[in-house]
Order: sequence, then C-alpha cells, then structure tokens
Amino acid sequence: MIQLFHVSKRFPTGQVALEDVTFHVDKGQFCFLTGSSGAGKTTLLRLIFREEVPSEGQILVNGRNVAAIPKSKIPFLRRTIGVVFQDFRLIERKTVFENVAYLPRILGLDGGRQKRMAFEALRRVGLAHRLAAFPRQLSGGEQQRVAIARALIAEPEILIADEPTGNLDPELSREIVSLFVDINRRGTTVIYATHDHATIRRIGKRVLTLSQGRLVDDRTLEPGEPAPPEPSGAAE
Amino acid sequence: MTLLQALRDFAREALIGLLRSLRVSALAVVTIGVSLFLAGAFYLVSRNLENTVRRWRDEARFVVYVEPATSAARLEELARRVRAVPWISEVTIVSREEAERRFERSFPSLSDLVRGTSAALPASLEARLRPLAEGQQEPFRAWVRELLQIEGVELVDDDRDWIGQIETVAAVVRALGLVLTAILIAASVFTIASVVRLTSYLYRDEIAVMRLVGATEFYIRGPFYFEGLFQGLLGALVALGGLSAAHFAVRPQLEASLVAGALAERFLSPSEMVGLLGLGALAGLVGAVLSLGREQVASERS
Repeated sequence: MIQLFHVSKRFPTGQVALEDVTFHVDKGQFCFLTGSSGAGKTTLLRLIFREEVPSEGQILVNGRNVAAIPKSKIPFLRRTIGVVFQDFRLIERKTVFENVAYLPRILGLDGGRQKRMAFEALRRVGLAHRLAAFPRQLSGGEQQRVAIARALIAEPEILIADEPTGNLDPELSREIVSLFVDINRRGTTVIYATHDHATIRRIGKRVLTLSQGRLVDDRTLEPGEPAPPEPSGAAE
Repeated sequence: MTLLQALRDFAREALIGLLRSLRVSALAVVTIGVSLFLAGAFYLVSRNLENTVRRWRDEARFVVYVEPATSAARLEELARRVRAVPWISEVTIVSREEAERRFERSFPSLSDLVRGTSAALPASLEARLRPLAEGQQEPFRAWVRELLQIEGVELVDDDRDWIGQIETVAAVVRALGLVLTAILIAASVFTIASVVRLTSYLYRDEIAVMRLVGATEFYIRGPFYFEGLFQGLLGALVALGGLSAAHFAVRPQLEASLVAGALAERFLSPSEMVGLLGLGALAGLVGAVLSLGREQVASERS
C-alpha cells in the first residue's frame, strides 16, 4: 500500500529532515509513527500525500511513485488519502456540514448526495446531530471528530493523522484514538504520528520510530507492551 | 463535475468573496469605474469630433473669388476651366448681386455696409470637391497655384485647409485618449490584481483545506478569476452610468455652441456599451490571472 525506498529529504536551507528511510505499510495496517519533535514525522507524512517531494528515493502509494505524479494529477492522489492534523484545520465561517462536504462539492455531486455523504461520515464519528453547528460551537474533541469525518467522507484507502490529539486532554485523546482504531478495523490503512507513548502502549500495533530523520526502530507491540524508548538527540 | 456546475460554484464563491472584502472590492470597482469613465469620455469626444469633421469635409466648399472688374463672360469661362478638372464635382457662379443678397440675409443689421458699394463683395465660383485619392494632394495644390496665376482670379478659399487642422487636433485627442486609456486600464488591472491577491490571502485557510482534500488548481482559482471579472464588470457599469449621466446632463448646455454641441452629439451605441462592459470584464480577468500567476494560490508556505 505504502512503500518508501531509501527516502531522504533535504530542504533548500540545508536542513536534513529525513535520511535514507525505508519501510512498507501493508493494506489495512495501523501504524504509529513516533519520535521526538523535529524527528521528521510530519515531513514523512507530507511526502506521502505529496505536499513535499523527496530529495532522494522513491515513495509508492498503491504502486504509484508519488514524486513522479504530475502536478495536475496530485488532487486525484489526495482524494484517496484522508489527512487529519493536530490543529483540526476547520473553516470557522463554515458549518460542520460545509466543512465535511468539501470533497463531494469539489466532485460536483448534487446537494442531496453531499448531505447523505456528510451525514454518514459524521455518523461514524458520532456527530451526525451537529450538521448545522459552527466549529466555534464545538469542543476540541468534537472539532477533531469533524476533521476526521472530513477525511473519511470519500472512504479513503489511507488515513494519515499528524498528532491528532496534541491539542486535546487525555480523556478526549482516548476517544479520538479509539475512533482511529475503529476506522482501521473497517479496512482503512492508518498512519498515526504521535509522541504520546501512553497511547502507543495502550493500543499496541506497529510502531515506527524516527530520530533525527532516520528510521531507528520498527516493531510491532501488543497492547500494554511498553513503547520503544525515546531516542536522544532530536534534530530540532 | 460539469463545467456549468463549476462556473456556478465559482460565481457563487466569487460573490461571497466580494461581499467578504467589501471595502477593498469597492475600491477596485471605483478605480476601474473612474478609469473606464475617463477612457469612455475620451472615446466619445474623439469619435464625435471625427464624425463632425467628416461631415464638414463632405460639405467642404472650394471658393474662387474673382476681381471686382471681372465680366460675366470671363466668370463663365473661369467656371468652365474649374469644372474641367477631375477634383471638382460641381461649380456654381455667385454673382456680386447674389453675394450681397446672401450677406444681407445672414447679417441684416449690417446690410448698409454693402448696399450700393459695387466692390464690397466680389463675385465668386463655388465648387464642390470630390474626395482626393491617394497621391492627388500635390497635383491638386499645383493646380490651385496655377489657378491663382490666371488673370481675374483674386483668392482661393479651400475649406479643407482648416478642416485639416481640426483633423490634426482630433488625431492628437485620439492619441492622447489611447495613451491615457492604456495607463488607466493598466492601473485598474494592477488594483484588481492586488485586491484578488488580498482576497486569496484571506481565504488561505480554506484554500489549504481544498488542496488537502483534492481540489484541482482550476477549482481553486476559478472563484478568484470570477471575482476579478465581476469587479471589472461592475467598474464598467459604474463608468457607463457616469458617462450616461454626464452626457445627458451636459448635452443641453452644449447645444448652444456649434463645436461643443458636436462633441456631445451622440452617445455610445449598444455595441459600444457592450464593448465597454467587455473591456472592464477583461481588465478584471487579466488582473486576477496576473495576481495568481503560475504559482500555487495562497500556498501555506507563502
């Protein structure tokens, strides 16, 4: 599903974000991506949904080399990947429905179909009753669930989450993580970036650890098993 | 998504964008409105002046004044000679008596000045000129010089001399208008470009989300192109309204003067109005296209 071969990313400033990273994520797998701040987690995720291009190496998503995709075709790749961020990225002036229904609107689906899809996505995250609310009327956890619904609306094959619980209290974080696990059970491949070891320990699953742009650990944990130790010497 | 659906979406989003940044949008509309108003005013003055000059040229006379002592027979002979050249379409002999009658009709209070004075107004030949073909100017002038050498011919008055001077003035007005129009339209395009760029900046969060979920660049840029187009179109409507109000307010006051009246003679035709609206819309669209350029619109890192 997702394959990285000797991927490096260097920015024009000379900063090395990733160095010779190689791993595969199979279809339907749940994979934590961990490491201290500046380890390269966000850059790696951005490479997968083609927000960045690698300086070296190849990234294949569903067998396609994403770095070689022409600019005009990038939107079609992104329609198969749902992305959730720590800061939710909801549009304050739009209702929950409008925030969730971006993709069906872009696809030109009729209003009824847009509503049905948005309703279904919001039902999955338990917010079907808040269609008409504005983001500011929702709690942080609810806002993140709206963002997840937006990422899920087209039933993507891959769901990428970049520190999705970073702004939430522990109780809400548990809810959100459970939601991702549930989404993964239904067949969606999930890559979940976090440096919250408690979450990793509670859930288990595969854990990829980055340090200073290098993949330093790749193991699968059972629930309750301790997360790999935090490597010392972060890049930033 | 069909093109029609996309255009409908773009128009709706563009209108929301205009309302969201109402003040700067209004500034852009007023700027292009003033620019197109001035451009339109220059065009109207220049075109009406050209029409008037063309009409004067069509009615232009070529008058040969003869010496007071010239006999009627000599006048007939001169008329035959003038009629024989290819540039003259028709010749009318105006006797001294007829010249006096015309003077008295035109200036009744001054009729005492000419009554009974045999040499006050000379007889003349009034000719109508055919339009001169390319390269005929010099032979015509040479013929006029020859005509002045003929015994009995005192003066030749060609209306086209002063009409030519007015045509030069009209050409200068037209050239000035074109230069001014180009400068003003460029300023409008720049203003619209700045406003559209500002709006795209206001929408950067939404653009980032649209890009994230897979919107194409066409879908992201479309509303901004429409916004520029709407601003240009609204500016052109403002200009058209201003021109119309100015034309109909000024025209009755100018009718007392021959030249000034001619300048306000005719307003824009329907096709010219459509042209002005099209020019405004085009300026707005060009401004939007230039403002967004080839880079990604309001990129998160910009």
